[in-house]
Amino acid sequence: MNLTKILLGAGTAALVAGTAMAADVFVIGGKPDDPFWSIVKRGAEDAGIVAESQGGSVTWLGPQNYDNLGVDAAELIRQAIDQGADAVVGPNWVPEAMDPAFQAVVDAGIPLVIYNAGGIEAADRLGAMNYVGSNDYKGGVAAGEYLGNAGNLKGVCINTLPGAANIEAFCNGFIEGITNVGGEGSVLPLPATSFGSATAVAQAVRAHLLQNPDIDAVFTIGNVDSNSAVSGIAQAGKTGQVKVCGMNFDESILNNIKNGSQACAIDQQGYHQGYLAVSILNGFVNYGLTVPTREILTGPGVIDASTVDATLAGVKAGTR
Amino acid sequence: MSTTTKDKRSAARMLGRLVRRAETGSFLGMVVVYIFFAALGGRVFLGAPGFSSWLNTAAEVGIVALAVGLLIIAGELDLSVGSVIPASSLTVAIVSSHYGAPEIIGILAGLVVGLMVGFVNGFLVTRTSIPSLIVTIGTMFGVMGLTLGFTVLIAGSTGVFIVPDPVTKALLGQFVGGMFQVTMFWWAAFIVIVFYLLHVSPYGNWIYALGGDRESARNAGIPTRKLTIGLFMLSGFAAAFVGVGQVLTYQSAQVLTGQAFIFNSIMCVVIGGVLLTGGAGSVIGIVLGTLTFSIVNQGIFFSGLDPNIGSVIIGALLLIAVLSNDSFRKTALSFAAKKAP
Repeated sequence: MNLTKILLGAGTAALVAGTAMAADVFVIGGKPDDPFWSIVKRGAEDAGIVAESQGGSVTWLGPQNYDNLGVDAAELIRQAIDQGADAVVGPNWVPEAMDPAFQAVVDAGIPLVIYNAGGIEAADRLGAMNYVGSNDYKGGVAAGEYLGNAGNLKGVCINTLPGAANIEAFCNGFIEGITNVGGEGSVLPLPATSFGSATAVAQAVRAHLLQNPDIDAVFTIGNVDSNSAVSGIAQAGKTGQVKVCGMNFDESILNNIKNGSQACAIDQQGYHQGYLAVSILNGFVNYGLTVPTREILTGPGVIDASTVDATLAGVKAGTR
Repeated sequence: MSTTTKDKRSAARMLGRLVRRAETGSFLGMVVVYIFFAALGGRVFLGAPGFSSWLNTAAEVGIVALAVGLLIIAGELDLSVGSVIPASSLTVAIVSSHYGAPEIIGILAGLVVGLMVGFVNGFLVTRTSIPSLIVTIGTMFGVMGLTLGFTVLIAGSTGVFIVPDPVTKALLGQFVGGMFQVTMFWWAAFIVIVFYLLHVSPYGNWIYALGGDRESARNAGIPTRKLTIGLFMLSGFAAAFVGVGQVLTYQSAQVLTGQAFIFNSIMCVVIGGVLLTGGAGSVIGIVLGTLTFSIVNQGIFFSGLDPNIGSVIIGALLLIAVLSNDSFRKTALSFAAKKAP
């Protein structure tokens, strides 16, 4: 079974041959310095402790930057195949660019789990074993419905990374969610000059709110942006009037939820995405274990003032 | 001749001299851009919220642009500013929040990080023949990696949070009147200092000479090595200062910030009429370039233009600015000043 691949991996052949049955799992993910992805990575590595105790390994492959996300990630997938992966975990961020690479994984007979982005549709289309992750679209819907139900019916999604499939789904889901409960939503895409600059994002949010005074709900696509949005709203003099809900969270966002300057955070539980995806593949490669449940949802979960305290402990531990 | 004609002539001469100044092109560019967005943005853009919106943006990138501008005039580039910003933010947060040291210690440590990176840049550029573009790309990635590594190692995550005490917050991270970030007053201080450096003190001429012809500058007795290292340390310091301001403003330091400052600062400098090849440029020009860049960046959100094409407008502005600066400079140089009677 694995023999041809072992022979192909000439350099490491001797090493690998000794542990022919153990799973070398390759995980394609975001930049390790991305606040969200460092948690996913932590989950994958924690699952890797089990894999290592059974003689296998977990290798994290992340792009240097997000300038050419789809193509770079596709390249990383092919790298995993070349390095003799026994199993591959990857997000389907940009299907157009990444599908052929995922197809190559399946064609090579390597078990594949799609996680984080793409949904069960991508797993079915590509012939992957399973999908582990939150449903991006449902995450946006949850935020839209939460804010709409709180009485904030005119919403905007701040898109700081226009073009990525999962981010577009957040925003579309948000519009759907707020529309479901009788409101309306729009999208504000930001230019590349503001990426990674809290001030630029805060000022953009503020300008947009001043120019569109009827907007009373803001949805952000990541935890860094949520902090910026809260600052932008304060500078527009609209604290309390405009409510913020954002994807992902960190300590400062939980504090903001606690003190009321942010309404809610949508949690996709990144730790479980890394942890479960690696565990499933490790169990399958080593012992033929399968998980009959298809589409393992790790989110969306809504964190608001009522659940914030329970979440703080996980943040301290670096797993949430 | 009568006194009135004499006055008229000297007034005309002054006007001529003014028009021939390189900054005039940048100034006109800024006015055009402002009128354009004022027409589209209306009252909100013209009022205090509009002003503070682009001034806040300008202040942060402006501090970095001043120092980077001096380097470009001296014929060098510094891309490491993009990773010095998060490095200093995280240093402040880790020293003062994670370890609980007094905030002044954290702030000084953050600034020292910037000075150190600047020193390494300057040292490598002066001791090797590697172009500063490459050296600072190298240190940019180096600092980025060290920041990530140490932050995860020490704090266990990629973001560190800090609740600054009221005095520090008021000095470095406050919004005056709820909307004017104090950073803009620091920017004003930087403008005065850098203006003195470049246009009043003898260092100014040294910097121009350095950018004009390094060999001749050294032969003329200018301590080129010390000067280059000093300029890199200034840009490291400026970037670190912005990082310190950011962490105290947003009360959180994230590894993934600052990259936008690399190209934004160079754009501000170039829009301001500084020659990318060195040897020409002015502080007023850099300030005007920064304001123009920020007005466009923020104006898009007030204007009702499709934000999807925001990046296109910013890119087009840069090219138009450089082209018009170039042709303005040529026109200005080809008309010689009339001899005084």
